[in-house]
Amino acid sequence: MLLPVLLSYSGFTALCLSMDRHHRDLLARTPTARVRRLLQLCGWALLGLSLAAAVLATGWSLGLVEWCAALMASAMLLVWLLPYRPRLVMRLAALGLLFSPLVALALG
Amino acid sequence: MKEGFRQAMAWLHTWTGLIFGWILFAIFLTGTLSYFNDEISHWMQPEVPVRQVSSEASLTLAQRYLQQHAAGAGRWVISLPSARDPGLSVSWQMPGNEGRRGPREQRQLDPLSGEVLQVRDTRGGDFFYRFHYQLQMPHPWGRWLSTSAAMLMLVALITGIITHKKIFKDFFTFRPRKGQRSWLDGHNAVGVLVLPFHLMITYSSLVIFMYMVMPASILVAYQGDTDSFFSELFPASESPKAQGQPGQLLALAPFVERAREHWGGGQVNLVTVSHPGDVKATVNVMRSSADRVMYEFGNAVAFDGVSGAFLTADPARPTPIAIAGSFYGLHLGHFAGPTLRWLYFICGLAGTAMIGTGLVIWLGKRQLKHAKSGVMPFELRLVEVLNIASMAGLLIAVATFFCANRLLPVSLAERGEWEVNSFFIAWGLSLVHALVRRGRAAWVEQLALAAGLFCAVPLLDALGSEQSLRVLLAQGDWARLGFDLTCLGSGVFLAWAAFKMRRAGQLGGKAPARTARVISKVEVN
Repeated sequence: MLLPVLLSYSGFTALCLSMDRHHRDLLARTPTARVRRLLQLCGWALLGLSLAAAVLATGWSLGLVEWCAALMASAMLLVWLLPYRPRLVMRLAALGLLFSPLVALALG
Repeated sequence: MKEGFRQAMAWLHTWTGLIFGWILFAIFLTGTLSYFNDEISHWMQPEVPVRQVSSEASLTLAQRYLQQHAAGAGRWVISLPSARDPGLSVSWQMPGNEGRRGPREQRQLDPLSGEVLQVRDTRGGDFFYRFHYQLQMPHPWGRWLSTSAAMLMLVALITGIITHKKIFKDFFTFRPRKGQRSWLDGHNAVGVLVLPFHLMITYSSLVIFMYMVMPASILVAYQGDTDSFFSELFPASESPKAQGQPGQLLALAPFVERAREHWGGGQVNLVTVSHPGDVKATVNVMRSSADRVMYEFGNAVAFDGVSGAFLTADPARPTPIAIAGSFYGLHLGHFAGPTLRWLYFICGLAGTAMIGTGLVIWLGKRQLKHAKSGVMPFELRLVEVLNIASMAGLLIAVATFFCANRLLPVSLAERGEWEVNSFFIAWGLSLVHALVRRGRAAWVEQLALAAGLFCAVPLLDALGSEQSLRVLLAQGDWARLGFDLTCLGSGVFLAWAAFKMRRAGQLGGKAPARTARVISKVEVN
């Protein structure tokens, strides 16, 4: 359950950064069209990876449930942190990206 | 045309949300609590210790007890301890007069020693579970009302999605400290972010009661004979009739292992024995619903209790039933481990919050139009009172229910009923309080009272407990400790909410113009 949460949180953060308003709020600059496109791509890819991680770990029936739970939990966490702790948002996403390969390796 | 459609949807969303909002808030909150049904029941019966024993060992103890005390019973039911519910309970029915069933007897046993435990009489978490679809009304009215509420919840969800046109643009948007704007942001955020859960829970509740909501196909296929539909759907393990000759029942424990072999692994939660002293004794071993996402409507293996021969096993289900079972299973969440269970709980709270914020927004929008005159029309005052009593009042009632469990004397007659009564008395009093006090004052006072009561729950538990914290930790009784901590957390949160509500009231008096401006913006959106 940890790996899908880490991946989906990072994915949602990337999707969030691909939007002008949030990008300005978090990084204080306006992204170019290419950066936006790239962030969008990364975001969706990470969400897809989190689906793969959930399904590979526990099979389709429980995996899909866990993936949905991971998506909802990480999106809620992100939206709640955005206005109150914007710096933490980025740090957590970086940690998520950093640790997810390690967790994946540890889980085999 | 398109704007007209959206406006019609907004109208529908506003009014279904209002009329059924109060009842849906109660259904969602008690339903959310039901994800911790077993844990709440365990907390409410602290006499049942947490023991690490195998199913087989406790089954042997249960059989020994039943053979001594209920040898002539028509049926034994043995509920085995599980990871979430540490109790070993046995129940039986003596044959009554004229072929009728006698009264049902139940005992809680210590899973380690097999001795009868003296437990307090309580409805436990089952009270919330029953309430969330029966609403404490006589059958079948409560079910009808809650099913209608579910139907309108689905309407409110779908119209809500249509009304909220910037669903993706605003996906990550929550702007706090902006009055009405923040309430709307919050309402949208919990609505959209947890949408899969909302849709699943609402749709599945209709699947669960589909025989009530859409009986046409059943009535046609079975020519009006709904009973035969149900007996085909739930082939109640047909056990052979008693022969009247005494027979020696085998030891029950090995049947558990044989059932597991039949399933290829899994957990057993219930063992029943029909005609235990007869040559035709039948042993049914039921699989725990915690094993799979799909809820199986009975998954039992039947054995001959005297010869030990394998009799029957429930067959695999056809696809439509498997789909219905999956929705059933998703709704109940029996399969969820600790992490997923907490997420279920949080999603349920998010749903409750979505309904609550919706009710607050409805009133807030209309109240401001009357802010200058200071006189509220009757219908708005009515909504305000119902908002307070259905939300803050319900929280008070829940906390009172828990406190009553520790405060009512153990020997009180019909103790379990009095816990329930205290729940409704507290709720009723909160309605009276909301009627006499002015809106904001009533909110602040009721939230503060709920905060106090929730904080008192762990205190009462510690004061009235025979086991110290150290014993609980040593036993690994995380359910009980977690319950106490959750109550404390809820208390602190409600205290914060009461504080915010009070301060917003003091500030609100000073800057009505600004709020009104924000409101007009909100209405434009």
